Amino acid sequence: MRGARFMSDPGTTLLGRPLDDPDLLAATAGAPDYPILPNATVLKIGGQSVLDRGRSAVYPLIDQMVELKTEHPLLIGTGGGTRARHAYTVGTGLGLPTGVLSDVGSAVAGQNARMLGYLMARYGVPTVGNEAFSALPLYLSEVHAVVFPGMPPYGMWHPTPEEGLLPPYRTDAGVFLIGEVYGCKQLIYVKDEDGLYTANPKTNPDATLIPRATVDEVEAMNLPDVVVERPVLRMLKSARYIRSIQVINGLTPGNLRRAVEGEHVGTIITAD
Amino acid sequence: MAETFGVKDVESTLARQTLLDADLVRPVNRDPIRLLPWLDVVVLGGRVMDRGGKTVTTLVGELRKAMKSHRMLVLTGPGIRGRHVLGVGLDLGLPTGVLAGLVAAEAETNGHLLAGLLAADGASYVPHATAGHQLSTHLAACPLVVSNGYPPFGLYEPPPPAGKLPRYGSDAGALLLADSYGANQLIYVKDVDGIHDADGKTRKKITTTEAAALRTLPVERTVLELLDRAKHVRSVRIINGLKSGTLTDALAGKKIGTLLTAD
Repeated sequence: MRGARFMSDPGTTLLGRPLDDPDLLAATAGAPDYPILPNATVLKIGGQSVLDRGRSAVYPLIDQMVELKTEHPLLIGTGGGTRARHAYTVGTGLGLPTGVLSDVGSAVAGQNARMLGYLMARYGVPTVGNEAFSALPLYLSEVHAVVFPGMPPYGMWHPTPEEGLLPPYRTDAGVFLIGEVYGCKQLIYVKDEDGLYTANPKTNPDATLIPRATVDEVEAMNLPDVVVERPVLRMLKSARYIRSIQVINGLTPGNLRRAVEGEHVGTIITAD
Repeated sequence: MAETFGVKDVESTLARQTLLDADLVRPVNRDPIRLLPWLDVVVLGGRVMDRGGKTVTTLVGELRKAMKSHRMLVLTGPGIRGRHVLGVGLDLGLPTGVLAGLVAAEAETNGHLLAGLLAADGASYVPHATAGHQLSTHLAACPLVVSNGYPPFGLYEPPPPAGKLPRYGSDAGALLLADSYGANQLIYVKDVDGIHDADGKTRKKITTTEAAALRTLPVERTVLELLDRAKHVRSVRIINGLKSGTLTDALAGKKIGTLLTAD
């Protein structure tokens, strides 16, 4: 049914059928894809892993992003970090629902976006919130980069996790969704580890690096701890544009530049 | 460069972890409180709103009466115009996140139509930000508030496992919001009597697992999985808004239509 016209073909018309009709869903899978910003690179700058470390971690990344952005337009999303963890601890202790915790997480990612934005202001790079996304194409064509808070703005509508109360779609997920909706070229997670390990390398000295894996392979390993939020792995399988991600160590000098230019310097996780 | 101001961590149970290891997160898990335990959430389906005229004015009359004894958040769905804009958007090659925002605008339109009819009674349409953050204030001023059933996901709508259509519509959005607030009940007002089983009979009660096996449902399929994970709203009622008096009965707690329950 590729190329079906959803306005007129009786077999695929949207006007009469339930939206979860399997035939209709199958037909929409064949709908054309028009990527909105196909040349853009999306970066996620970690909160706890990078921004909380201050200038020693952040300044070298800014230098690299400024050098890269003319050739590689950048959408730069920010993580939350230690303040989000504190607020989540207080909030869960008070029994506040996932929706409230989601707003709390957004506020911290927003602070980090503002800080990064001020540091990049001299290069013309603005911080955009959800309201300013409409101006994003203009910013990209004029100054080649924007900074945005990574948390998806789900707020009180945040889906409940399988266990506990913490919002499952945090900043890794939010940045992924922006890369996917804009049909971007690539997505790189900038963290403080060389990639995905068999266990958390900060607490387990036996952990070994996994340089490349498919989502199915990662899931089959049944790792207790992973380097990106689990919904990202699930969404990677459903995505139409972002079919792989790379997780890199942003503390290693030059790593970000190499990754953006297409080198394999961390862990690459692919949809299939 | 020395980390001169290197206060890297704020101490907390969750500090220095990825939040992805279930064993490490478990110490903070607990049951959430109900923020608005007296709140009744009513969803007026888009198909019901599409009928306009007597169908809508009858429902408005029932809502107006219910304002004397209930505090309600009334959410609207997008209906046929939502289908149309989905069709155009799909044909143009636009992604799921863009489609989600486009349909949500039609759900909002229906909210404005409904709120207009209840304006003289003190009710207003409030946008997502207000429904998520200042609902209490509005309900203190008037026992009925109208908003958009769609969740505010827009660009951030997760890519669906099959096809390109957004999976979180007004039914899903209403359940997410009702559960966050710890609402008293959630009622879906549709244009059928409830959930029909394979023989075409209306079920008085059905579980999410049973409902999942049926080919057509009057509510979004996403509702089934969300209901199973919900913390407070463990059942929802589906009623026929084309039959006068059903909404009044459902709000009063009468066993009308179908009660869909979590497993």
